[in-house]
Amino acid sequence: MIIDCHTHWGIAWQERDRGDPARWMAIADQHGITKAFLYPHAGIVRSDSCAVDNDTVAAVAASAPDRLIPVATAWPQMKEQGLEEVRRAVEVLGARALKFHPWLQGFSLADPYLGRICGLAAELRVPIFFHDGTPCYCLPEQIAGLARRFQATCFVLAHAGLVWNWRSAIEAARRSNVWLCLCGPPQRALEVICQRADPDRILWGSDFGFGFADSIGYWLSVFRAARIPDTMKEKILGVNPLHLLQSAL
Amino acid sequence: MLVTIDCYCAVGNDREYDFSADDLIRALDRAGVNRAVITPVDRYMVVDNCEGNKFILESAQRHPDRLIPSCSINPWFGKRGEQELRRAATEGARLLVLHPFIQGYQANDDLAWPLIEIAAEERLPVYIHTGPPGNASPWQVIDLAEQYPTADFIMGHCGATDFWNDAALAALSCENVYVEPSLARPFKFAAHMQALGPAKGVMGSFAPINDLAVEWTEMRKLLPPGDWSDFYGPNLLRLLAKRGPL
Repeated sequence: MIIDCHTHWGIAWQERDRGDPARWMAIADQHGITKAFLYPHAGIVRSDSCAVDNDTVAAVAASAPDRLIPVATAWPQMKEQGLEEVRRAVEVLGARALKFHPWLQGFSLADPYLGRICGLAAELRVPIFFHDGTPCYCLPEQIAGLARRFQATCFVLAHAGLVWNWRSAIEAARRSNVWLCLCGPPQRALEVICQRADPDRILWGSDFGFGFADSIGYWLSVFRAARIPDTMKEKILGVNPLHLLQSAL
Repeated sequence: MLVTIDCYCAVGNDREYDFSADDLIRALDRAGVNRAVITPVDRYMVVDNCEGNKFILESAQRHPDRLIPSCSINPWFGKRGEQELRRAATEGARLLVLHPFIQGYQANDDLAWPLIEIAAEERLPVYIHTGPPGNASPWQVIDLAEQYPTADFIMGHCGATDFWNDAALAALSCENVYVEPSLARPFKFAAHMQALGPAKGVMGSFAPINDLAVEWTEMRKLLPPGDWSDFYGPNLLRLLAKRGPL
């Protein structure tokens, strides 16, 4: 089983395929992807696209309910409306997780309404995926700071620190409510992460869908070549993502 | 026969790997790659430059047909560093590696200018690790390249990850700037090469941080060697051979 914990229903895909995931799924199928967490894209670029994109992602996921896990976003800058969108996305649309990209969305992790969203996520029992590895709003240590403040909330570093901040991601994952998604660090970093972080809180992802480029094959090749015990690889690809959903719910 | 050269492979014992010249030769053979430029590990780029450069030169001397030595100098060593760069070039180094993030300055900082001047005189291309915000962005490399038009610059990692949008436009703005894909990932780098054309790229894997065979295999899928042969070796060979035949 391979569960890709970092994919997007990309703007380009929506413009071309109008909510039909057949061609998106065909690429996932080529690589044996069993399930995928499907994040928004338009909704993390424009606040006025947020609700519509959450609707779109939910509808796309509903067309393959055994394969696609809908993930929603919101904008803390929209204050009460942002909180309402989180509640609507989870309770009405069935989103199983939240995704924030503070760099693209342009808010600080110190935003008071983001804090309220973190509290609401705990109440709704959904994990929060954060883009990470990028200053000045998305560093692993900043997300670890949120994890300290909101200990009942489950946080996922959706890039495990990317290329230059994966060491800080390992430190962030010392918090028991912080998970790491292997999606961006180089191969040797993946190996070190798997040696040092809690193996029960490591996921894998490809970032597929942001554009049309097929990133799944490359990242699977990197992961498969990594010197990580096969049993741990199986956990990361198939077991841990299900536990993430179960532990949050 | 197509010459293939990997532009960036670290050899030695660092915090999290121990990758010998023999390990690299085996990796090159597995990937069907003729030669590689070998570079000091992080620690030797930050401190003990002379020790690291000697290790690289000695490692390359044991495999002269396969391994091409580079050197690295931390600009903070000032005059001592400049002397070390001259020494390394005289001993056979063919490339200067700068890593502003771990060496502790900004890529376009005047701290590094004396080294660039020497590299230009000695006809050593300059490889700059780019990507870490603040320290090494693609446009900082362009600042240097405009100031030193007789030097050749290799934009390591294409600004990955945060500055990948800048890499192609920046590289297009200066004739003496080339892009290297390690950490930028083939599925994104291929689009850069489509925009830049085959003359502007040099293939590098950043082994052993990345798996050399995976990087070459995945890149060949997207940029077939039949169409992009210069990218896989001749472009880099042309830069390295400015100092003399290899």
